[in-house]
Amino acid sequence: MLAMLCAGAVPASAQVQLTFDKHPAIDFGNAFTASVRVKSQNDWRDFPPEAGANEKNVFDPYRERIAVEGKVMGRVLYHVEREFHDTSSPWKNIYVDARVVHGLHLRGGQFNMPFGLDQTTSLMDQDFNYHSLAGSFLAPGRSPGVMTYGDFFEKNALAYEAGVFSHDGDNARSAQLTDVRVAPTFAGRVTVKPFSRWGALHFARSMETAVAFTDGVLPAGLYNLKGQTVPGDAFVQKVYVNGRRQRLGVQMQWRPGPVGIQAEAMRVRDTRFGQGIEDEDLSDLVERAWYVSGTWLVTGEHKKETITPARPFLNGGYGAVEVGSRVEQLSVGAGPPLNPAVYGPRSRYVLPTGDVVWTTGVNWYLNKFFELSLNVIREDRALPRTTTLLPGPVWSRTFRIEFGL
Amino acid sequence: MRPAWIRTRVVLFTVAMCAPMLRLSAQSATVPGGADTLLDGGTLNDVWIHINARDWQSLHTNYQEGTYYPVDFEWQGNRIRNAGIRVRGNTTRSDHKPSFRIDFNRYVDGQDLFGLKALVLNNSWHDASMLHDDLSMLLFRAMGIPAPRQAHVRLYVGAGREYAGVYVISEEVSKTFLTANFGDDAGYLYEFHRQDGDNYGFQEQPDLGWYIPRFGPKTHETDSVANLYTPIRTLVEAVNEARQDNLEDRLGDYLDVNVFITELAVQNFLAQTDGLVGGVGMNNFYLYRFAGKRLSMLIPWDQDNAFSRVDVPPSENMGTNVLSSKIWDEPKYRARYLTRLLDVADLVGNGWFEQEAARQFEQVRQAAYEDPLTPYSRDDFDQANALVQQFARERGDVVRQYVASIAPGLLNGRPRSLRLQRRRPE
Repeated sequence: MLAMLCAGAVPASAQVQLTFDKHPAIDFGNAFTASVRVKSQNDWRDFPPEAGANEKNVFDPYRERIAVEGKVMGRVLYHVEREFHDTSSPWKNIYVDARVVHGLHLRGGQFNMPFGLDQTTSLMDQDFNYHSLAGSFLAPGRSPGVMTYGDFFEKNALAYEAGVFSHDGDNARSAQLTDVRVAPTFAGRVTVKPFSRWGALHFARSMETAVAFTDGVLPAGLYNLKGQTVPGDAFVQKVYVNGRRQRLGVQMQWRPGPVGIQAEAMRVRDTRFGQGIEDEDLSDLVERAWYVSGTWLVTGEHKKETITPARPFLNGGYGAVEVGSRVEQLSVGAGPPLNPAVYGPRSRYVLPTGDVVWTTGVNWYLNKFFELSLNVIREDRALPRTTTLLPGPVWSRTFRIEFGL
Repeated sequence: MRPAWIRTRVVLFTVAMCAPMLRLSAQSATVPGGADTLLDGGTLNDVWIHINARDWQSLHTNYQEGTYYPVDFEWQGNRIRNAGIRVRGNTTRSDHKPSFRIDFNRYVDGQDLFGLKALVLNNSWHDASMLHDDLSMLLFRAMGIPAPRQAHVRLYVGAGREYAGVYVISEEVSKTFLTANFGDDAGYLYEFHRQDGDNYGFQEQPDLGWYIPRFGPKTHETDSVANLYTPIRTLVEAVNEARQDNLEDRLGDYLDVNVFITELAVQNFLAQTDGLVGGVGMNNFYLYRFAGKRLSMLIPWDQDNAFSRVDVPPSENMGTNVLSSKIWDEPKYRARYLTRLLDVADLVGNGWFEQEAARQFEQVRQAAYEDPLTPYSRDDFDQANALVQQFARERGDVVRQYVASIAPGLLNGRPRSLRLQRRRPE
């Protein structure tokens, strides 16, 4: 409908083009463009049976998304995306984006806050089937807001993002609040590519590193961040928080040729003003997570956001094959380990829990549309005695068929 | 000046060494008699619930929900940390003076108070005397029926230790209760939840789904519907199929008829209008099926509506229940029932029941007068207790006269009082 309306406003002399390269698109000259993106990820999962855990289906339609994106008048970019398997919040990234001047872009709508490399990487460009624990639970995710961003110097040597968002991101429990007024959260990230302009250090040119933060008001309640095992069972004790939530994260990415190396570490601090049993202030709740991952495109393609096989399957080749591994940890809480009675939702100490996860996988990019992925995941969990979940090692396997248009 | 990290570690080490005492103090013998002292009613105990002010407010605002909030529970200097509290009750559920369930191992695995995993604090919302439930349970136990121990407490709340009124503290019918009374907790325990519009009295219900909302499992909660409810349906079938002149022949494996008769006798002696044969069908009981057996037993709960009228005929509502109908209609079982009624009358006939009612009244009177949240005035409280004492004094004679009027032979040769139990049976 929008395309038709815009088409009516386009001079008759404008050239209308229908294309189908990687995805179907329509261009009304410079006035309006629209392309349709389809993302489908379907998983077959093998999780160990665990007492007290919710039953999981073997087949999981993980993502079924459709998006429309394009430009209006050559300047304003728009993006609308809907998920069909999420009935509670089906609308995902919806925003408009425009360059104001060189080095200054503005974006408004609902989109990922600039925190967390893994979290802000498109789900179709992930190296592994699941986001990292850091990206899934400590990074904020998306929120309605406005953001300015841009870069300076040649070859994007220095980039910045800074925004204000209406809540703490959809990974946070407080995002689901409807009866509590949630104050804005500020977020920012500075990314540096220290060697991007050094021709002599060719292998290091893709290296980039960034530091990011968020700072926002935290409503009083059981709103500390979640933590779940790979099969999706909560293991982090719910505790009362109140005051401010502050995140600090560092990230690094390096892609020399067919190899990709990526790492992140983040720390979240929640204050707990007046949250004790006797209304006293409690010590801050600190949650930490990190990961390091490495991938290698065995078939020799260069590691990029989106992998396109040099020799597609059934088209003169076998596609592209990538192997990779990631180790990560999420940990929450601290306190004397001797007595469980000192841990509680309003206690000074928060039950220490954590999960160390090794993921090893192989990705087979058949062509630019299809990808098959197999991940083998080992967890070593630090869990309280109260849980009936297995402590570890716990092995999971996931197989994914992915289609992207 | 020590560096900060050394100070931090010293504090952590000290806390780590001392922390176990927090819990051990509650379980060791710092109170002679432990839970018995809290529940025997010998003294009016003070209990203190330490709770965040925001939670206390939320608990009242959302009193219809079953949300747990963390509390510390303190009694005689024993402080159980990180227990859970929620509002409980059906018709007595109130945001003015809520009843509570306190779960000691809600947040701390294995924590208890002298062996009690949980306690109930009842608000006596429907009972101006505040004594009905406690005295009823006392009589059940005196007649050999396992029933929860109860006592009155003064409840204090929050950092300011504000007085929140008189409550009846009760042990739960739980695994701890089962072990203490039957030496076994491996069976299937259900709490009966009467549904609006029901007038149930053991009528057959072929659909297992009918039982699900009415018999809430308290043990084996994750068992299949078939495992949980087929035995209850079979018990009900046995009740219906049992021949009136020989109930034991068909029913004996499922229910001890004599125990059931005793329970009926106690409840009808107490003129309980909301019990096994109340005016709205069966209500206020737990069902326990012993481990590895088909035999079940009914355990009484919430007797606030006892002591309704001193002159209620003890045959009232016997026709509303399939099993009580058969008992009443068959001379052999009616005689047993009337005999048990006389046993109860004899038991209270020596004055101990009235004395106990008077003692409890004196024990709680001042605290009840000062109760800031009770819906009853001082006059209401005094008058209700006067009726309770009158009931305790006169009910035995009313029942005896009733039995004499329909089965005079049962009184012949019977001693004036069996003196089965004196005062508290424990």
